[in-house]
Amino acid sequence: MNNPVSYVFSCLFVLIAHGAMLANVFINGNYDNISQPVVLAAAVLLLDVAYFIIMLFFRQTSYAVDFLLILVLNMSVIFQSCFGEIKFSVKHYITAIVALAACRGGYLICRDYKWIQTKRKYIYAGVGICMVLILTLTGSRSMWISIGSSTIQPSEFMKPLFVLACATSVTEQLNKKKVLIFNVVYENLALFGLMLAICLLQWWCRDLGSLPTFMGIYISGFMLRICYPKAKLSKKTFAFAGAALLVAAIIAMRMAPDYVQQRLHSDIWNDINGDGYQQSQALIGIANGGWIGTGPGHGKLCEVFAHDNDIVFATVCEEWGLLYALMMIFVLLIMMAVPLIVPPRSYYHGTMAAGVCAAFTVQTALNIFGSCNMIPFTGVTIPFISSGGSSMLVSGFMAGMLIAAISPKLDEPPKRMKMPVQPQRPRRYPS
Amino acid sequence: MNTTDLILCAVAAAALDICAMVLILSAYIDRKPGKRYWKHMTGGMELAETGTSFPLGCDELIIGRHASADIRLPDISVSRYHALLTVSKGLWTITDIGSKSGIFINGNLVKKAVLRENDVLSIGSHRLVFRRRREKNE
Repeated sequence: MNNPVSYVFSCLFVLIAHGAMLANVFINGNYDNISQPVVLAAAVLLLDVAYFIIMLFFRQTSYAVDFLLILVLNMSVIFQSCFGEIKFSVKHYITAIVALAACRGGYLICRDYKWIQTKRKYIYAGVGICMVLILTLTGSRSMWISIGSSTIQPSEFMKPLFVLACATSVTEQLNKKKVLIFNVVYENLALFGLMLAICLLQWWCRDLGSLPTFMGIYISGFMLRICYPKAKLSKKTFAFAGAALLVAAIIAMRMAPDYVQQRLHSDIWNDINGDGYQQSQALIGIANGGWIGTGPGHGKLCEVFAHDNDIVFATVCEEWGLLYALMMIFVLLIMMAVPLIVPPRSYYHGTMAAGVCAAFTVQTALNIFGSCNMIPFTGVTIPFISSGGSSMLVSGFMAGMLIAAISPKLDEPPKRMKMPVQPQRPRRYPS
Repeated sequence: MNTTDLILCAVAAAALDICAMVLILSAYIDRKPGKRYWKHMTGGMELAETGTSFPLGCDELIIGRHASADIRLPDISVSRYHALLTVSKGLWTITDIGSKSGIFINGNLVKKAVLRENDVLSIGSHRLVFRRRREKNE
């Protein structure tokens, strides 16, 4: 631990933040049996303390993302346990623990870039396997695999793999090969092919909501190639890529299936009991909640389908108020901003952090703006807040990637190694 | 909603706000150990020229005339992308990446070399000293 005082204070304030929320639930919440909020409080505080202890076993440069993660995860456990009435959400609690475990896994896997660089082919193979699973095991043109009573969304697992594919390929930019008259980097072509394949798959599966997330990751990876030594993209390439993207977007809008066209051009207030039901109810819920909300468990949005994932922002707004919901987003934004405060030291870690932040930002924006009817409804989840095992697991893993970016494992100099010194005649050094 | 509920909501919001601020502060404090770790890994070196010094804060840095170079030497004698500095196991290596005027270390033309403390790099008309980073208060 680098700074015990900072660590203890961070622990204390996370506990205070959760304590204040739980006090609100106890006094202001809607419950019949006192045991429900007691169990919730015990579970939240226990998970806090357990994670604070587990964190001590990992030597990191910074623990800021860890504290923000446990803060936001337990916030979501409290939110999810309060929708409609106070009832401890065991399922969400378990997925939160799984997310924390995935975060540790993500950190250990991604912190050593020399090692992961050698595993590049497995990353591409992983994306391929996810695609095959979607094509073969999901139902007809769907993204879900049903196993008993639970479902898995393999496309979620493609997100961290795609970020890793972008990050590991950035350092290959100097390996240009001459093909006809063009100097090409094979990795860039592979990455572009991968992006294209993902787009086609999403199109085929009618899950266009996740497409902006993948596009966000790819564009951030593409942009960082400009920063890579001597892999600068020319203005022509840039202009061409921008124009191609614009043309592709226009063609996609024109050729979008009927259900997408309907969403793009629908007026939710004219179709309040049809396609506009969720969004209109979400807006009514946000308005009902006002700045300080109706109180934990007093909301009505819990009766709407997907209130705990697709329109979770509106549900939180209704029960906890717009002020609290905005602060929840603020905490998520701080988590993404930590790499700006503690900067990554290599292009791999920088690209990885940018990819993760792009994915989180796009997902959060799609959910919030979709709930507020500013864009068509996409059904994308807010990382860590929405319920759903696949989403929580993947978000946790990606948080681990963020931690790895700010606490990387670099090539250690041998013990007792001293920087070789040039034994030369004294000379005048610049001041 | 009565006054007590309102106060409770405000307290919960304030606690979250303060916690977020404390965690930002904690991240800011963590900058120092991050810098210390980087110094341990790389020897805390810099390239210095009269009146200027270039800290080596990333594991791959490009020296060149181009505006996008990490260490920019705006001089016609320096190629747009002249040399690449990389660090591994505490040692910095400089590589010529197709420059026209080459890299001279202590007067010797090199294509690739491991740098030693106090080496003098001649890149175009610039003379840079590879030395330990000096803090401002030193």
